[in-house]
Amino acid sequence: MVVIGAWGPMHKLLRVLIWVAVAALGALAVSTIALDRGEQINAMWLVVAAFCSYALGYRFYSKFIAAKVLALDPQRATPAERLDNGRDFVPTNKWVVFGHHFAAIAGPGPLVGPVLAAQFGYLPGTLWILAGAVLGGCVQDFVILLFSIRRDGKSLTEMAKEEIGRVGGAVAYISVISIVVILLGATALIVVNALKSSPWGTFTIAMTIPIALLMGLYLRRIRPAKVLETSLIGFVLVLVAIWGGQWVSQNAWTARAFTFTAPTLAILIIVYGFAASAMPVWLLLGPRDYLSTFVKLGTIAVLATGIVIFRPTLHMPALTSFIDGSGPVFAGKIFPFGFIIIACGAVSGFHSLISSGTTPKLIRRESEARMVGYGAMMAESLVAIMAMIAACVLQPGTYFAISSPAGIVGQAPEAAAATISSWGFPVTAAGMHSLAQAVGEQTLFNRTGGAPAFAVGMANIFSNSLGGQAVMALWYHFAIMFEALFILTILDAGTRVGRFMIQDALGHVWKPLGRTSWYPSTLATSAMIVAAWGWFLWQGVKDPLGGINSLWPLFGIANQLLATVALCVATTIIIKMGKIRYGAVTLVPLVWLVSVTFTASWNKIFNPNPRIGFLAHAQQLAASAASGHEVSRLIVNDRLDALVTGLLVSMVGLILLQSLVEWARVLSGRKAPAVKEVPFVASHFATEEQG
Amino acid sequence: MMVRGRKHGVDEMIAYQESSCESREPRAHMSSWVIVSTWTGYIKEMARVVLAILREIFDESAYARFLSLHRLHSSTSTYAEFLREHEVEKVRRPRCC
Repeated sequence: MVVIGAWGPMHKLLRVLIWVAVAALGALAVSTIALDRGEQINAMWLVVAAFCSYALGYRFYSKFIAAKVLALDPQRATPAERLDNGRDFVPTNKWVVFGHHFAAIAGPGPLVGPVLAAQFGYLPGTLWILAGAVLGGCVQDFVILLFSIRRDGKSLTEMAKEEIGRVGGAVAYISVISIVVILLGATALIVVNALKSSPWGTFTIAMTIPIALLMGLYLRRIRPAKVLETSLIGFVLVLVAIWGGQWVSQNAWTARAFTFTAPTLAILIIVYGFAASAMPVWLLLGPRDYLSTFVKLGTIAVLATGIVIFRPTLHMPALTSFIDGSGPVFAGKIFPFGFIIIACGAVSGFHSLISSGTTPKLIRRESEARMVGYGAMMAESLVAIMAMIAACVLQPGTYFAISSPAGIVGQAPEAAAATISSWGFPVTAAGMHSLAQAVGEQTLFNRTGGAPAFAVGMANIFSNSLGGQAVMALWYHFAIMFEALFILTILDAGTRVGRFMIQDALGHVWKPLGRTSWYPSTLATSAMIVAAWGWFLWQGVKDPLGGINSLWPLFGIANQLLATVALCVATTIIIKMGKIRYGAVTLVPLVWLVSVTFTASWNKIFNPNPRIGFLAHAQQLAASAASGHEVSRLIVNDRLDALVTGLLVSMVGLILLQSLVEWARVLSGRKAPAVKEVPFVASHFATEEQG
Repeated sequence: MMVRGRKHGVDEMIAYQESSCESREPRAHMSSWVIVSTWTGYIKEMARVVLAILREIFDESAYARFLSLHRLHSSTSTYAEFLREHEVEKVRRPRCC
């Protein structure tokens, strides 16, 4: 006991000193990236700032939320324990749930958003990723996960209906299906922009279809259930396809066969989406999903290792003049658009679907929700920081040459180079041509969407060491393949999710339409959902401003409106729990998101700048001398975009209003503050551990 | 495979790590250090955790649970049955952007 008495205070003092050191290091890193001007800084400062912010956020803020706001109770049995059925509800080790949850929330979003936002410089995006995640995104994922656990793993839509009201449930449903449609259209456009006029990339991605079919047959017939083994074989075959793509791009006949324009690629992707939705899951969707997860986890690990080992220098300035809204990559001022473009790396409403989906049915103890909910979002945020680094290690001129649409900088390489150089970011047509040759592309100008810039950045990081310039093309196409493969997985899986949602809704009208195994219903609803996202894709492909200019902000708005719904639900529950004094935990991010999304929506509809406002763009087209079918369609598209944005924001306004009414009724005492939690049942695991 | 009331494999290791970390007894720290005495052992345990995560993500654990639940042995037909049973559940699983 003497030892304890002497060691205890020392141990405590040591811990305090360690946390003071972490805070000091974090402050140093943040001030270095924020205050440094005129000279390039090392990317490691961003990594250090991120690690220190996450460590402090997790240790102190998430612990405060766990103890004071949510009062996590390890003695309370979770649905995984009470409803354990060996299928959906399974008590699972926390690290395994963490991996499962992270694999579900991490997609191409945290990679694309920061790359696009790099047009403002590395500083605004980095600060938003760190603050947004620690104070908003991680909190949202954590509280929704815990609230779902306490309601037998109910979905966000069901919780909205129970805690806020019927309108809340309906709005959440419509928001979810809207976001799925817009997400699919926006991400499909990224694939089209990455693969257009790129025989190497197109060949590699095309080869993933027979590889996935082969994996499906191998899994089903030869080695049942050996998914890891099959994924490894698939991964090796994909690497062979990447290597083989080089030959395809150098041979005149094969290069021609795999060179497609953007509209042709869009049609191919729409046909693929329909086929994948209607085909048996085990044959294509399942194996592709496994393969893409394998590639995703591997790529994130490789990128993180590469950044830490090679410690690249950031060439992008901390801030660019484009914060005024004149940026070529996408139009709009830093507020609100900087906070819309980066959604998944900071706050993503989509995560609330996963936090109230499979994850709450796996958590073994309430206390583990903190690590899974808050912790996995921190990991996702780190991926966004790595994407920001990949974009900012490029020379700014190169970044803008790749990411700017032809409608802004001009079609001809010389004209584009001159325009970009006039902004103070020197670049030459000859230099871009050499870079395109080094990565095995015909051109890198006007490759909007974020994926090509990310791929060049990633190739740049590795080409300085592993294999040098000789393998730059392989790294580039590996990165392109990674993003395209993952996005195609989202397309086929998302199309099926959307199909099921439509079938659920139509089943209320006529029962057979709700049967997922009835083929006429399957074909009809697959066609409906593909037509919905295909329309957004086609509109993006035909947009002279590169499409991503309109679609990604629209996706960001839809995603963050869903986060607004999730935070409304969370705040309502906290108030009904009688913990209004801690309401700021979800109320502050809610107020921020409302101001950002509502301002962005207003701008996207009514801003007089045709590059920002849909209606102004339609008006400009109508007033221009150009006429014909194409112009009329663009005008209709703009008006429809404005209508979609208006409807989304109105619905979320409605749910916000209903939440405010509910809060007022509870706080004024007109309604009893009762939450719809399942009653307490003692956990077997807790008593077992105590014993 | 998790069996209620008992801990196996990764769960046992994780529970052990938690209890040793949470313990305030210095002797408990020492004994835990003795048990997980070498880096090799630690790395092996970490590899087991990583493998367990991968098996869960790639549905191999779900298949093991399916076999256990229905008292079946692995074969082509049982795997086909597993895929049929899990198809709807799998495609309804949301995946983020």
